[in-house]
Amino acid sequence: MIPLVGLLAGIVLGIVLEPSIPQVLQPYLPIAIVAAMDALFGAFRAYLEGTFTDRVFVVSFISNVLIASAIVYVGDQIGVGSQLATGVVVVLGIRIFTNAAAIRRALFHA
Amino acid sequence: MPDEVRPDVRAAEPSPRRQRPRSRSHNAASRRVSSLRRSQRRLAGEEHPRAVTVDEARPAAQPAGRTSEAADAARSTRARLRASLLHPGRGQILAAIILFIVGVAGAMQIHVNTADDAYASARREDLIQLLDGLSAESRRLEGEIAQLEQTRSNLQSGADTQRVARSEAERHLTELSILAGTSPAAGQGIRMRIADPKAAVDARVLLDAVEEMRDAGAEVIEVNNTIRVVGSTWFGSDARGLLIDGKLVSRPITLEVIGEPHSLEEAARFRGGIVSEITGPRIGGQVQIEQEDRVVIESLHTSRENQYARPAPSPSTPR
Repeated sequence: MIPLVGLLAGIVLGIVLEPSIPQVLQPYLPIAIVAAMDALFGAFRAYLEGTFTDRVFVVSFISNVLIASAIVYVGDQIGVGSQLATGVVVVLGIRIFTNAAAIRRALFHA
Repeated sequence: MPDEVRPDVRAAEPSPRRQRPRSRSHNAASRRVSSLRRSQRRLAGEEHPRAVTVDEARPAAQPAGRTSEAADAARSTRARLRASLLHPGRGQILAAIILFIVGVAGAMQIHVNTADDAYASARREDLIQLLDGLSAESRRLEGEIAQLEQTRSNLQSGADTQRVARSEAERHLTELSILAGTSPAAGQGIRMRIADPKAAVDARVLLDAVEEMRDAGAEVIEVNNTIRVVGSTWFGSDARGLLIDGKLVSRPITLEVIGEPHSLEEAARFRGGIVSEITGPRIGGQVQIEQEDRVVIESLHTSRENQYARPAPSPSTPR
Protein backbone atom coordinates (compact mmCIF):
# COMPACT_ATOMS: atom_id res chain seq x y z
CA MET A 1 0.00 0.00 0.00
CA ILE A 2 2.71 2.42 0.94
CA PRO A 3 4.66 1.83 -2.31
CA LEU A 4 1.50 2.48 -4.27
CA VAL A 5 0.94 5.68 -2.32
CA GLY A 6 4.55 6.63 -3.01
CA LEU A 7 4.13 6.00 -6.73
CA LEU A 8 0.95 8.04 -6.89
CA ALA A 9 2.49 10.84 -4.86
CA GLY A 10 5.48 10.88 -7.20
CA ILE A 11 3.31 11.04 -10.31
CA VAL A 12 1.14 13.79 -8.85
CA LEU A 13 4.17 15.76 -7.72
CA GLY A 14 5.80 15.36 -11.12
CA ILE A 15 2.68 16.60 -12.86
CA VAL A 16 1.96 19.47 -10.48
CA LEU A 17 5.45 20.84 -9.89
CA GLU A 18 6.79 20.05 -13.37
CA PRO A 19 10.37 19.79 -12.21
CA SER A 20 13.00 20.06 -14.90
CA ILE A 21 16.12 17.97 -15.03
CA PRO A 22 19.44 19.31 -16.27
CA GLN A 23 19.84 19.31 -20.02
CA VAL A 24 22.84 17.02 -19.75
CA LEU A 25 20.85 14.25 -18.09
CA GLN A 26 17.84 14.54 -20.30
CA PRO A 27 18.78 11.86 -22.86
CA TYR A 28 19.36 9.32 -20.09
CA LEU A 29 16.11 9.76 -18.20
CA PRO A 30 14.03 7.42 -20.41
CA ILE A 31 16.67 4.70 -20.16
CA ALA A 32 16.83 5.21 -16.41
CA ILE A 33 13.07 4.85 -16.16
CA VAL A 34 13.12 1.60 -18.10
CA ALA A 35 15.91 0.30 -15.87
CA ALA A 36 13.94 1.32 -12.79
CA MET A 37 10.90 -0.52 -14.13
CA ASP A 38 13.05 -3.60 -14.56
CA ALA A 39 14.27 -3.30 -10.96
CA LEU A 40 10.74 -2.80 -9.70
CA PHE A 41 9.38 -5.83 -11.52
CA GLY A 42 12.32 -7.89 -10.30
CA ALA A 43 11.69 -6.76 -6.75
CA PHE A 44 8.02 -7.60 -6.96
CA ARG A 45 8.85 -11.01 -8.35
CA ALA A 46 11.34 -11.64 -5.57
CA TYR A 47 8.81 -10.51 -3.05
CA LEU A 48 6.19 -12.91 -4.38
CA GLU A 49 8.71 -15.72 -4.37
CA GLY A 50 9.67 -14.92 -0.83
CA THR A 51 13.25 -13.94 -1.55
CA PHE A 52 12.83 -10.18 -1.34
CA THR A 53 15.49 -8.21 0.48
CA ASP A 54 15.26 -4.48 0.74
CA ARG A 55 19.02 -4.05 0.53
CA VAL A 56 19.22 -6.06 -2.67
CA PHE A 57 16.30 -4.08 -4.00
CA VAL A 58 17.85 -0.71 -3.35
CA VAL A 59 21.25 -1.75 -4.65
CA SER A 60 19.81 -3.38 -7.75
CA PHE A 61 17.64 -0.37 -8.42
CA ILE A 62 20.48 2.11 -8.22
CA SER A 63 22.94 -0.05 -10.08
CA ASN A 64 20.42 -0.81 -12.82
CA VAL A 65 19.69 2.84 -13.38
CA LEU A 66 23.32 3.86 -13.23
CA ILE A 67 24.59 1.09 -15.48
CA ALA A 68 21.90 1.65 -18.07
CA SER A 69 22.59 5.38 -18.13
CA ALA A 70 26.32 4.79 -18.20
CA ILE A 71 26.05 2.43 -21.13
CA VAL A 72 24.09 4.98 -23.08
CA TYR A 73 26.48 7.73 -22.05
CA VAL A 74 29.49 5.75 -23.23
CA GLY A 75 27.62 4.95 -26.41
CA ASP A 76 26.99 8.63 -26.94
CA GLN A 77 30.65 9.39 -26.45
CA ILE A 78 31.78 6.81 -29.02
CA GLY A 79 29.02 7.57 -31.49
CA VAL A 80 26.74 4.55 -31.09
CA GLY A 81 24.46 6.10 -28.50
CA SER A 82 21.14 5.44 -30.19
CA GLN A 83 22.05 1.84 -31.02
CA LEU A 84 23.20 1.13 -27.47
CA ALA A 85 20.08 2.78 -26.10
CA THR A 86 18.01 0.48 -28.30
CA GLY A 87 20.01 -2.51 -27.09
CA VAL A 88 19.57 -1.56 -23.44
CA VAL A 89 15.86 -1.05 -23.89
CA VAL A 90 15.53 -4.40 -25.63
CA VAL A 91 17.44 -6.26 -22.91
CA LEU A 92 15.57 -4.54 -20.12
CA GLY A 93 12.30 -5.15 -21.93
CA ILE A 94 13.07 -8.87 -22.15
CA ARG A 95 13.89 -8.90 -18.44
CA ILE A 96 10.68 -7.04 -17.64
CA PHE A 97 8.68 -9.58 -19.58
CA THR A 98 10.44 -12.47 -17.83
CA ASN A 99 9.76 -10.90 -14.44
CA ALA A 100 6.18 -10.18 -15.42
CA ALA A 101 5.75 -13.82 -16.43
CA ALA A 102 7.14 -14.96 -13.07
CA ILE A 103 4.83 -12.54 -11.24
CA ARG A 104 1.89 -13.81 -13.21
CA ARG A 105 2.78 -17.39 -12.38
CA ALA A 106 3.20 -16.56 -8.72
CA LEU A 107 -0.05 -14.64 -8.50
CA PHE A 108 -2.36 -16.72 -10.67
CA HIS A 109 -0.42 -19.93 -11.29
CA ALA A 110 -1.13 -19.49 -14.94
CA MET B 1 -9.41 -6.64 -0.39
CA PRO B 2 -12.58 -7.35 1.51
CA ASP B 3 -12.76 -5.32 4.66
CA GLU B 4 -13.93 -8.07 6.95
CA VAL B 5 -10.73 -10.01 6.30
CA ARG B 6 -8.36 -7.45 7.79
CA PRO B 7 -8.81 -8.02 11.50
CA ASP B 8 -8.04 -11.73 11.13
CA VAL B 9 -4.82 -11.21 9.30
CA ARG B 10 -3.70 -8.43 11.56
CA ALA B 11 -4.22 -10.66 14.52
CA ALA B 12 -2.45 -13.54 12.86
CA GLU B 13 0.74 -11.68 12.00
CA PRO B 14 2.27 -9.44 14.55
CA SER B 15 5.75 -10.95 14.36
CA PRO B 16 7.53 -8.99 11.58
CA ARG B 17 6.86 -5.71 13.26
CA ARG B 18 8.26 -6.93 16.51
CA GLN B 19 11.28 -8.29 14.74
CA ARG B 20 12.33 -5.07 13.10
CA PRO B 21 14.06 -3.11 15.83
CA ARG B 22 16.15 -6.09 16.76
CA SER B 23 17.35 -6.73 13.22
CA ARG B 24 18.33 -3.13 12.76
CA SER B 25 20.85 -3.34 15.54
CA HIS B 26 22.59 -6.39 14.16
CA ASN B 27 25.15 -6.50 11.45
CA ALA B 28 24.40 -7.24 7.79
CA ALA B 29 24.64 -11.01 7.96
CA SER B 30 22.33 -11.29 10.89
CA ARG B 31 19.95 -8.89 9.18
CA ARG B 32 19.83 -11.13 6.15
CA VAL B 33 19.21 -14.15 8.35
CA SER B 34 16.50 -12.39 10.24
CA SER B 35 14.80 -11.24 7.07
CA LEU B 36 14.87 -14.75 5.70
CA ARG B 37 13.48 -16.02 8.97
CA ARG B 38 10.85 -13.34 8.83
CA SER B 39 9.69 -14.33 5.39
CA GLN B 40 9.75 -17.97 6.43
CA ARG B 41 7.63 -17.16 9.43
CA ARG B 42 5.33 -15.14 7.25
CA LEU B 43 4.93 -18.08 4.91
CA ALA B 44 4.22 -20.47 7.75
CA GLY B 45 2.18 -18.27 10.02
CA GLU B 46 -0.25 -16.82 7.59
CA GLU B 47 -1.32 -19.94 5.93
CA HIS B 48 -4.08 -20.96 8.31
CA PRO B 49 -6.09 -17.79 8.77
CA ARG B 50 -5.73 -16.94 5.11
CA ALA B 51 -6.81 -20.34 3.96
CA VAL B 52 -10.15 -19.73 5.54
CA THR B 53 -10.63 -16.18 4.36
CA VAL B 54 -9.55 -16.70 0.77
CA ASP B 55 -11.77 -19.70 0.42
CA GLU B 56 -14.62 -17.67 1.78
CA ALA B 57 -13.85 -14.62 -0.34
CA ARG B 58 -13.51 -16.24 -3.72
CA PRO B 59 -14.66 -19.75 -4.07
CA ALA B 60 -15.27 -19.25 -7.77
CA ALA B 61 -11.66 -18.32 -8.43
CA GLN B 62 -10.45 -21.83 -7.63
CA PRO B 63 -11.01 -24.25 -10.48
CA ALA B 64 -12.08 -27.70 -9.43
CA GLY B 65 -9.16 -29.54 -11.03
CA ARG B 66 -6.39 -27.52 -9.36
CA THR B 67 -4.04 -29.41 -7.11
CA SER B 68 -3.95 -28.59 -3.46
CA GLU B 69 -0.26 -27.52 -3.65
CA ALA B 70 -0.99 -24.92 -6.28
CA ALA B 71 -3.90 -23.64 -4.24
CA ASP B 72 -1.66 -23.46 -1.19
CA ALA B 73 1.02 -21.58 -3.11
CA ALA B 74 -1.51 -19.15 -4.52
CA ARG B 75 -2.92 -18.67 -1.10
CA SER B 76 0.55 -18.08 0.34
CA THR B 77 1.45 -15.38 -2.20
CA ARG B 78 -1.89 -13.68 -1.82
CA ALA B 79 -1.61 -13.88 1.92
CA ARG B 80 1.80 -12.33 1.78
CA LEU B 81 0.43 -9.54 -0.37
CA ARG B 82 -2.42 -8.93 1.99
CA ALA B 83 -0.20 -9.07 5.03
CA SER B 84 2.23 -6.61 3.57
CA LEU B 85 -0.60 -4.30 2.70
CA LEU B 86 -1.62 -4.24 6.32
CA HIS B 87 1.78 -4.38 7.96
CA PRO B 88 4.25 -2.36 5.93
CA GLY B 89 7.88 -3.03 6.68
CA ARG B 90 11.07 -1.21 5.97
CA GLY B 91 11.24 -2.72 2.52
CA GLN B 92 7.90 -1.25 1.67
CA ILE B 93 8.95 2.19 2.74
CA LEU B 94 12.07 1.87 0.63
CA ALA B 95 9.99 0.66 -2.25
CA ALA B 96 7.67 3.59 -1.72
CA ILE B 97 10.57 6.02 -1.87
CA ILE B 98 11.95 4.43 -5.00
CA LEU B 99 8.56 4.30 -6.63
CA PHE B 100 8.12 7.92 -5.70
CA ILE B 101 11.33 8.73 -7.53
CA VAL B 102 10.26 6.64 -10.50
CA GLY B 103 6.89 8.36 -10.51
CA VAL B 104 8.45 11.80 -10.51
CA ALA B 105 10.88 10.79 -13.23
CA GLY B 106 8.17 9.21 -15.33
CA ALA B 107 5.89 12.20 -15.04
CA MET B 108 8.83 14.45 -15.85
CA GLN B 109 9.78 12.41 -18.87
CA ILE B 110 6.20 12.27 -20.13
CA HIS B 111 5.92 16.00 -19.62
CA VAL B 112 9.18 16.61 -21.45
CA ASN B 113 8.08 14.28 -24.23
CA THR B 114 4.73 15.96 -24.74
CA ALA B 115 5.39 19.59 -23.87
CA ASP B 116 8.80 20.07 -25.43
CA ASP B 117 9.22 19.38 -29.05
CA ALA B 118 11.02 16.26 -30.04
CA TYR B 119 14.25 18.13 -30.74
CA ALA B 120 15.08 19.11 -27.18
CA SER B 121 16.09 15.60 -26.15
CA ALA B 122 17.35 14.49 -29.55
CA ARG B 123 20.96 13.48 -30.00
CA ARG B 124 23.35 15.49 -32.06
CA GLU B 125 23.48 12.92 -34.86
CA ASP B 126 19.70 12.85 -35.01
CA LEU B 127 19.62 16.63 -35.14
CA ILE B 128 22.19 16.67 -37.92
CA GLN B 129 20.15 14.11 -39.80
CA LEU B 130 17.02 16.21 -39.29
CA LEU B 131 18.86 19.28 -40.52
CA ASP B 132 20.12 17.42 -43.55
CA GLY B 133 16.63 16.23 -44.33
CA LEU B 134 15.25 19.73 -43.93
CA SER B 135 17.82 21.33 -46.17
CA ALA B 136 17.33 18.64 -48.79
CA GLU B 137 13.60 19.26 -48.59
CA SER B 138 14.05 22.99 -48.94
CA ARG B 139 16.32 22.48 -51.94
CA ARG B 140 13.68 20.28 -53.49
CA LEU B 141 11.01 22.89 -52.80
CA GLU B 142 13.16 25.65 -54.26
CA GLY B 143 13.53 23.60 -57.41
CA GLU B 144 9.79 23.17 -57.48
CA ILE B 145 9.29 26.92 -57.06
CA ALA B 146 11.64 27.63 -59.96
CA GLN B 147 9.82 25.10 -62.10
CA LEU B 148 6.45 26.59 -61.24
CA GLU B 149 7.68 30.09 -61.99
CA GLN B 150 8.93 28.86 -65.33
CA THR B 151 5.54 27.37 -66.01
CA ARG B 152 3.85 30.59 -65.00
CA SER B 153 6.01 32.71 -67.33
CA ASN B 154 5.39 30.17 -70.07
CA LEU B 155 1.68 30.50 -69.55
CA GLN B 156 1.91 34.27 -69.51
CA SER B 157 3.92 34.39 -72.69
CA GLY B 158 1.47 31.92 -74.13
CA ALA B 159 -1.32 34.31 -73.27
CA ASP B 160 0.71 37.10 -74.87
CA THR B 161 1.19 35.01 -77.96
CA GLN B 162 -2.50 34.38 -78.09
CA ARG B 163 -3.25 38.07 -77.71
CA VAL B 164 -0.81 38.94 -80.50
CA ALA B 165 -2.31 36.26 -82.69
CA ARG B 166 -5.78 37.58 -82.04
CA SER B 167 -4.87 41.19 -82.88
CA GLU B 168 -3.06 39.92 -85.96
CA ALA B 169 -6.15 37.99 -86.95
CA GLU B 170 -8.28 41.08 -86.42
CA ARG B 171 -5.93 43.09 -88.58
CA HIS B 172 -6.17 40.39 -91.25
CA LEU B 173 -9.91 40.47 -90.93
CA THR B 174 -10.09 44.21 -91.65
CA GLU B 175 -7.69 43.85 -94.55
CA LEU B 176 -9.62 40.98 -95.97
CA SER B 177 -12.92 42.70 -95.49
CA ILE B 178 -11.53 45.65 -97.43
CA LEU B 179 -10.35 43.28 -100.13
CA ALA B 180 -13.64 41.47 -100.10
CA GLY B 181 -15.44 44.76 -100.31
CA THR B 182 -17.53 44.30 -97.25
CA SER B 183 -16.29 47.41 -95.51
CA PRO B 184 -15.73 50.97 -96.70
CA ALA B 185 -12.21 52.16 -97.36
CA ALA B 186 -10.36 55.42 -97.73
CA GLY B 187 -6.83 56.37 -98.68
CA GLN B 188 -4.69 57.99 -101.26
CA GLY B 189 -5.15 56.93 -104.81
CA ILE B 190 -6.25 58.08 -108.23
CA ARG B 191 -9.47 58.94 -109.98
CA MET B 192 -9.59 57.97 -113.60
CA ARG B 193 -12.29 59.28 -115.88
CA ILE B 194 -12.74 57.51 -119.17
CA ALA B 195 -14.67 59.56 -121.70
CA ASP B 196 -15.97 57.19 -124.31
CA PRO B 197 -18.03 58.97 -126.94
CA LYS B 198 -18.19 55.98 -129.30
CA ALA B 199 -19.21 53.64 -126.50
CA ALA B 200 -16.42 51.42 -127.66
CA VAL B 201 -15.07 50.56 -124.26
CA ASP B 202 -16.21 47.01 -123.72
CA ALA B 203 -15.85 44.55 -120.93
CA ARG B 204 -12.45 43.34 -122.10
CA VAL B 205 -11.00 46.86 -122.00
CA LEU B 206 -12.45 47.50 -118.60
CA LEU B 207 -11.11 44.20 -117.30
CA ASP B 208 -7.71 45.09 -118.67
CA ALA B 209 -7.88 48.41 -116.88
CA VAL B 210 -8.82 46.79 -113.59
CA GLU B 211 -6.11 44.15 -113.93
CA GLU B 212 -3.49 46.74 -114.67
CA MET B 213 -4.57 48.72 -111.64
CA ARG B 214 -4.30 45.56 -109.60
CA ASP B 215 -0.89 44.80 -110.99
CA ALA B 216 0.17 48.28 -109.94
CA GLY B 217 -0.86 47.58 -106.38
CA ALA B 218 -4.45 48.77 -106.32
CA GLU B 219 -6.08 47.76 -103.11
CA VAL B 220 -9.64 48.92 -103.61
CA ILE B 221 -11.28 49.67 -106.95
CA GLU B 222 -14.65 51.25 -107.48
CA VAL B 223 -16.44 51.91 -110.72
CA ASN B 224 -18.74 54.90 -111.13
CA ASN B 225 -18.90 55.41 -107.40
CA THR B 226 -21.37 52.52 -107.15
CA ILE B 227 -19.73 49.25 -108.08
CA ARG B 228 -17.07 47.78 -105.83
CA VAL B 229 -14.65 45.63 -107.73
CA VAL B 230 -13.64 42.54 -105.74
CA GLY B 231 -12.17 39.16 -106.53
CA SER B 232 -15.40 37.68 -107.78
CA THR B 233 -16.43 40.66 -109.87
CA TRP B 234 -17.26 39.81 -113.47
CA PHE B 235 -17.39 42.02 -116.50
CA GLY B 236 -19.76 41.51 -119.37
CA SER B 237 -22.15 43.18 -121.73
CA ASP B 238 -25.60 42.66 -123.01
CA ALA B 239 -28.01 44.55 -125.24
CA ARG B 240 -28.27 47.45 -122.84
CA GLY B 241 -24.56 47.93 -122.62
CA LEU B 242 -21.67 47.26 -120.28
CA LEU B 243 -22.34 45.21 -117.14
CA ILE B 244 -20.27 44.77 -114.02
CA ASP B 245 -21.63 42.26 -111.54
CA GLY B 246 -24.93 42.51 -113.30
CA LYS B 247 -25.14 46.28 -112.93
CA LEU B 248 -25.28 48.57 -115.90
CA VAL B 249 -22.31 50.87 -116.22
CA SER B 250 -23.13 54.36 -117.38
CA ARG B 251 -20.71 56.40 -119.43
CA PRO B 252 -18.42 58.17 -118.87
CA ILE B 253 -16.80 55.61 -116.65
CA THR B 254 -15.05 56.72 -113.50
CA LEU B 255 -12.60 54.43 -111.77
CA GLU B 256 -11.62 55.25 -108.24
CA VAL B 257 -8.59 53.30 -107.10
CA ILE B 258 -6.87 53.29 -103.72
CA GLY B 259 -3.21 52.53 -103.91
CA GLU B 260 0.10 54.24 -104.44
CA PRO B 261 -1.00 57.15 -106.74
CA HIS B 262 2.15 57.54 -108.72
CA SER B 263 2.63 53.90 -109.62
CA LEU B 264 -1.07 53.61 -110.42
CA GLU B 265 -0.90 56.53 -112.81
CA GLU B 266 2.28 55.20 -114.38
CA ALA B 267 0.67 51.81 -114.80
CA ALA B 268 -2.20 53.46 -116.60
CA ARG B 269 -0.10 55.66 -118.80
CA PHE B 270 2.71 53.45 -119.94
CA ARG B 271 3.06 52.93 -123.70
CA GLY B 272 0.68 50.24 -124.85
CA GLY B 273 -1.16 50.48 -121.58
CA ILE B 274 -4.75 51.23 -120.86
CA VAL B 275 -4.54 54.94 -121.63
CA SER B 276 -2.94 54.47 -124.99
CA GLU B 277 -5.45 51.77 -125.82
CA ILE B 278 -8.42 53.97 -124.96
CA THR B 279 -7.06 57.02 -126.64
CA GLY B 280 -6.08 54.91 -129.63
CA PRO B 281 -7.92 55.03 -132.91
CA ARG B 282 -10.09 52.00 -132.22
CA ILE B 283 -11.81 53.47 -129.17
CA GLY B 284 -11.09 57.17 -129.57
CA GLY B 285 -11.76 58.04 -125.97
CA GLN B 286 -10.06 60.26 -123.51
CA VAL B 287 -8.60 59.45 -120.15
CA GLN B 288 -8.23 61.93 -117.37
CA ILE B 289 -6.27 60.84 -114.29
CA GLU B 290 -6.09 62.77 -111.03
CA GLN B 291 -3.95 61.82 -108.10
CA GLU B 292 -5.86 62.27 -104.90
CA ASP B 293 -4.68 62.39 -101.35
CA ARG B 294 -7.88 60.92 -100.13
CA VAL B 295 -10.17 58.72 -102.09
CA VAL B 296 -13.22 57.51 -100.19
CA ILE B 297 -14.90 54.36 -101.42
CA GLU B 298 -18.16 53.64 -99.73
CA SER B 299 -19.91 51.27 -102.03
CA LEU B 300 -19.96 47.72 -100.71
CA HIS B 301 -19.92 44.37 -102.28
CA THR B 302 -22.59 42.16 -100.82
CA SER B 303 -21.03 38.81 -100.49
CA ARG B 304 -23.30 35.87 -100.90
CA GLU B 305 -23.43 33.32 -98.16
CA ASN B 306 -21.72 30.17 -99.32
CA GLN B 307 -24.24 27.51 -100.07
CA TYR B 308 -22.02 24.47 -99.63
CA ALA B 309 -18.68 25.49 -98.29
CA ARG B 310 -18.36 25.92 -94.55
CA PRO B 311 -15.32 26.92 -92.57
CA ALA B 312 -13.57 23.75 -91.44
CA PRO B 313 -12.14 23.60 -87.95
CA SER B 314 -8.55 24.58 -88.34
CA PRO B 315 -5.98 21.95 -87.42
CA SER B 316 -4.60 22.63 -83.99
CA THR B 317 -1.55 24.72 -84.52
CA PRO B 318 1.30 24.54 -82.03
CA ARG B 319 1.70 27.74 -80.12
